[in-house]
Amino acid sequence: MLLDLIPKRKPDVGALIKKRDIPGLIGALSCRDPIVQSAAVHALGDIGPAAVGPLILALKGKNRLLRLGAIGALAKIKDSGAVSALADMMKDPGSEVRWQAVIALGEMGSREAIAPLLLGLEDPDKYVRFGSALSLEKNGYQPSGETGWAWHYAAMQDWDRLRAMGVSALAPLFSLLRDTDSDVRVRAVRVLGEIGNREAGPALIRSLGDADRQVRWEAVLASQKCGVPPMYLPRGLYQRPRIQKNPLVAGFLNFLLPGLGYGYLGKWWGIMIFQIELQITLWLWKAEGENNSYLLLYPLYILLAVHAWYLAKNMPEEPA
Amino acid sequence: MTRLHGFVSGVPDTVHLKEAGDIPSLIRHLNHADPSVRWHAADALGTCGGTAVPLLLEALHSRLVPVRLGALEALGAIRDLRAVSPVIDIINHDTLLEVQWAAVLALGEIGSPDAIPLLVPLLRDTNRYLRYGAAIALGRLGWQPQNEADTVYLLIARQDWESVRHLGAAATPYLSIIFRDNDPATREGIVTVLGQMGDLQAQALCQTALKDKSPYVRWKAVLASMNCGLASYDLPLMVAARERTGPDPAAAALLNFFFLGIGYNYIGKWWGFPVFMTYMSILVIAQLAMGPFLPYLIAYPITAILGIHTYYLAERMSDAGM
Repeated sequence: MLLDLIPKRKPDVGALIKKRDIPGLIGALSCRDPIVQSAAVHALGDIGPAAVGPLILALKGKNRLLRLGAIGALAKIKDSGAVSALADMMKDPGSEVRWQAVIALGEMGSREAIAPLLLGLEDPDKYVRFGSALSLEKNGYQPSGETGWAWHYAAMQDWDRLRAMGVSALAPLFSLLRDTDSDVRVRAVRVLGEIGNREAGPALIRSLGDADRQVRWEAVLASQKCGVPPMYLPRGLYQRPRIQKNPLVAGFLNFLLPGLGYGYLGKWWGIMIFQIELQITLWLWKAEGENNSYLLLYPLYILLAVHAWYLAKNMPEEPA
Repeated sequence: MTRLHGFVSGVPDTVHLKEAGDIPSLIRHLNHADPSVRWHAADALGTCGGTAVPLLLEALHSRLVPVRLGALEALGAIRDLRAVSPVIDIINHDTLLEVQWAAVLALGEIGSPDAIPLLVPLLRDTNRYLRYGAAIALGRLGWQPQNEADTVYLLIARQDWESVRHLGAAATPYLSIIFRDNDPATREGIVTVLGQMGDLQAQALCQTALKDKSPYVRWKAVLASMNCGLASYDLPLMVAARERTGPDPAAAALLNFFFLGIGYNYIGKWWGFPVFMTYMSILVIAQLAMGPFLPYLIAYPITAILGIHTYYLAERMSDAGM
């Protein structure tokens, strides 16, 4: 990280503990050294309820490390008054923060923590879901009914039990198809295929347009087990993201900055052409003057632009 | 298909259009901005029967991919034999995989045995979607493999690796042909089956797999090679001969020799550009002071050393993913 190059004085956590300096310790939570950060978390946890108010305020901080540390300290204090603030942290955009929040909610031993933790089972991040399931167990929660257990097993990635549950597992499996980890999506698609229920059809057709090629292929195989008409599959696959270089951009770049169009297409020698062209232009300017130089160079630029356009146009598409 | 231009998106009622027999409008809706309207339009066209076929055949030549896909879906549902030859043309001439795949599946739906001679060779296509589509289509046409080769290709196309494994050594030559697939998961599957079969005839394919550009295929090949009788001391030699996917060490060195810093940038060092800009600034200032050539004479021995340095850095990087 570039920021790591900037030297920063590490806070003296020992001195801060001696002084029971709560603001100082909270400041130390944003230290990039995890040892210092962890020491501050434990120190604030040992201070107990007196630190809860300032820690809840720190949860609103912009620094992600500060929020992570503050949640950690609240988890150690186990003050049920922090449940509502911790539940709010489950909307944090950072998945580590949400994960830390569900762990902290598990430490609270409060019935109030159960509702936000149940929401955590539907999080798109596997760490958050796993943490939620463990925290719910820690708070003595038992899922009620088949669907409740299905969400629990989905969070625990217990694929065998999900498969055995059949139709009850469909909703959590559909939710897993939004997971950021493609491996989880592959497993979810496979289990949907093994369950073989027609209701999974629309979700599987959507998965045909997944960004990951293995998910797409598994969706093809699974959709056949779920009674999706084969004729629907190509259209589903057509939704896949296409990563292709724009021929017009390549041509435009090569016309304005000859060589950089090739660079845009991933040709390592593009930058060399750019430099060589720059040198030639400078020498030509000196020898022939600006106007004459451009008269000579423009046809060359057009040629290079057309070449880059042609190369981009004929570049093979990423395999499906 | 000029009639498709100037289409205005809205929320069309495909049921109403179908009842009115407005086939051209339904075809236009195959390219609607809302994907669900496209599905409905294709479904509606599929129930229009033979009257829709001439316009749908015309739509197969649309430059819009969703229109071609929808037309193929509808033709598959109508099952009119007039569509067989144009759909075969699509398989042979369309460049987009999804359209080719839809055409293969449509042939199976149309149900003409005339399509079988075209579909059987597709079982050995290098693309798994087309192979799988051909297997489904041939199944619909009631085709049964006539010989060992077709049996193996059909099983491979269905990705039925377990049945392929049961065939034993007889499957090896056909697995070698399908190994050209550009999908690493398929190549991994093939090598795994070969390892399970332990066929000594598969050594050549194992050697190819050991040089594969995918690290997963290479790893499976290492495991398979042991069972196929390759000497363990040969494995590192094969793996070392693999196609390198990392930065090209020679290119990195050349770039750093002529344009110090760009070579570092090429191998992923963010500070390569600042180094390059500093180098160029110093070079220009030196040229102003000493003339155009002397600074190069001083610079090149230094950039040569740094070029060698970049070469070794890049070489180490391309080894990282063994």
